[in-house]
Amino acid sequence: MTKPAIQTKQLGKKYGSFWALENCTISIPEGSVSALVGPNGAGKSTLLKLLAGLSKSTTGESTILGSTPEQREDFLADIGYLAQEIPLYKSMTANDHIAMGKHLNKRWDEIYIRKRLGDLGIDLTKAVGKLSGGQRAQVALALALAKKPKLLLLDEPVAALDPLARHDFLSSLTQAVAEGNLTVIMSSHLLADLERVSDHVIVLAAGKTQLCDDIETVLSRHKLLVGSRQLQQTFGTTLHVIHEVHTAKQSTLLVRLDKDIKVPKGWQQHEPNIEEIILAYMGQAKEGGTK
Amino acid sequence: MNWFVWRQHRKQFLSLGLVLIAFAAFIIPSGVHFWHTYQQALSTCAQNPNTPNCSDLEGNLLTSGGDALIMRGAVLGALALPLVVALFIGSPLLASEYAEGTSKLVWTQSISRRKWLSVKLAWALSFALLYGVAVALLVSWWSRTINALHQFRLGQGHFETQGFMPAAYALFFTAFAIAISAWFRKTLVALAVTFGVFVLCVIGFGQWVRPHYATPITVTTAMGPNAIEAKLPTGAWVLKKDIIDAHGNVHSNFSVTDMPKECQALTQDIQVPAGSRAAKVKASGGDPVDDCLNSAGWHQVATYQPSYRYWDFQRIEAGIYLGLAIAAVGATYWLVLRNDA
Repeated sequence: MTKPAIQTKQLGKKYGSFWALENCTISIPEGSVSALVGPNGAGKSTLLKLLAGLSKSTTGESTILGSTPEQREDFLADIGYLAQEIPLYKSMTANDHIAMGKHLNKRWDEIYIRKRLGDLGIDLTKAVGKLSGGQRAQVALALALAKKPKLLLLDEPVAALDPLARHDFLSSLTQAVAEGNLTVIMSSHLLADLERVSDHVIVLAAGKTQLCDDIETVLSRHKLLVGSRQLQQTFGTTLHVIHEVHTAKQSTLLVRLDKDIKVPKGWQQHEPNIEEIILAYMGQAKEGGTK
Repeated sequence: MNWFVWRQHRKQFLSLGLVLIAFAAFIIPSGVHFWHTYQQALSTCAQNPNTPNCSDLEGNLLTSGGDALIMRGAVLGALALPLVVALFIGSPLLASEYAEGTSKLVWTQSISRRKWLSVKLAWALSFALLYGVAVALLVSWWSRTINALHQFRLGQGHFETQGFMPAAYALFFTAFAIAISAWFRKTLVALAVTFGVFVLCVIGFGQWVRPHYATPITVTTAMGPNAIEAKLPTGAWVLKKDIIDAHGNVHSNFSVTDMPKECQALTQDIQVPAGSRAAKVKASGGDPVDDCLNSAGWHQVATYQPSYRYWDFQRIEAGIYLGLAIAAVGATYWLVLRNDA
């Protein structure tokens, strides 16, 4: 977990006059599973497309597995990508898709994909357009995994699935991660799901990176402070407040404790969960955006 | 990749193949029948020149309702088939990938976008070209009777359906539909734009471009019935016929009131004064009005393209379409490789 699989610096993407992604600087260690979260339009899909080499960045640079993302066969061989709408050739069967994968990839694990889809009980001779949403997602995931990629990029793969299919999909993903040395970035709105499978979190909001770290570190560096309203004025700029809620008598602050900064006296300390922290960062970006 | 393109588009290729077979089944029997009828008429007329219709085979042979219908059908098919290939192979080739999002699936396999596009284009354009060549050969063969009868291969409706043109249309409009679909990413838009541009090009080239491939030949004659027709060679593609007065003014929509007063008077069916010039002309079987106009300095002018320029014109126009097809392919590469998924 020393060498980063992905490193981006000030990555930005502009569509027309609109910045879909700005100043995105992230570093993802090899073998990690990262949750990419953020509100709609935060640039999650844009970032994943940039990392997959499907689109070109307007500003900044990125290094993925030691090279720049582009339409080059040896780069693409290392990337597994699953787009949001789970695109498949609807009139073709799963068998056809397997044959496509075999024809278009030098590295291709035919035994693996056949076993996987067989275990899931998916009819390989049926047009994929006639399969259920969950089965289609499984076919698409299996196709991406059969390439034996080093980096798997998943764009809201479970968004359209029912809870059971979502559970199965995430189990498949966890299993695949356990089996091989695979780095995963997966975007989703479902924070609980992400928490189950990921060890790393990236929060994108208002087109910028708000947070990018492993979950353990994030948890240890954030505290929820509860105290009277007067206390709030005492520490000025010593604490990095991410989110604050005030009632007439009481203030609740979510703060980031960088380095050796200590919490001033008088505050009650609580451990926030990752969901609270993520929501706090998304909320902060929203306030920043409206100001 | 070849296997994949075939798997992906085989339905389109095969159904268009069936359409071509149906078209062949329609025009081959009539092609044989027309030629047979023509040959028979030729030998009959050679043996006995006084047989009815022999004086005007062109006007009398193959003019029955059924034959005319078949001719119209064949010409329509020859024009429509290259368009159909462009619409059904070209329009969805890239647009469906963009619309379904499958571009993102295929562009993250271990194949570069350039190679993927090259193989797809090679299949689509080769198929379109072969299809166009097949239509061209069929219709050129079928047209031999009409060409022999009318010798008018330069005319609109004839030029476009034989020689190189069906192949040139199929190739260019397929490439064009692909370029449009790479731009708009919607099959329906590509269909509509390709259809519109096809109609515009087929009519527009015949009307405004083709007449200028070589300097037309001009003939000038005196006024008189059939005076100009007699000077035009067989199969000439007449571009313009004008009546010109002594001052060089062109009278395209010629009417009696345009004439000089003295000639206008002669158009009234009145007795011409005995001993006058008009009376003499009338006596010798001429038309006093034409005579009057001629002596007033009026004349007729026609410009035309001779039929022997047919193959030159075919080469020039097919060359233009080939150039346009190359430009469309270049634009497609540019659009697909430069733009995001």
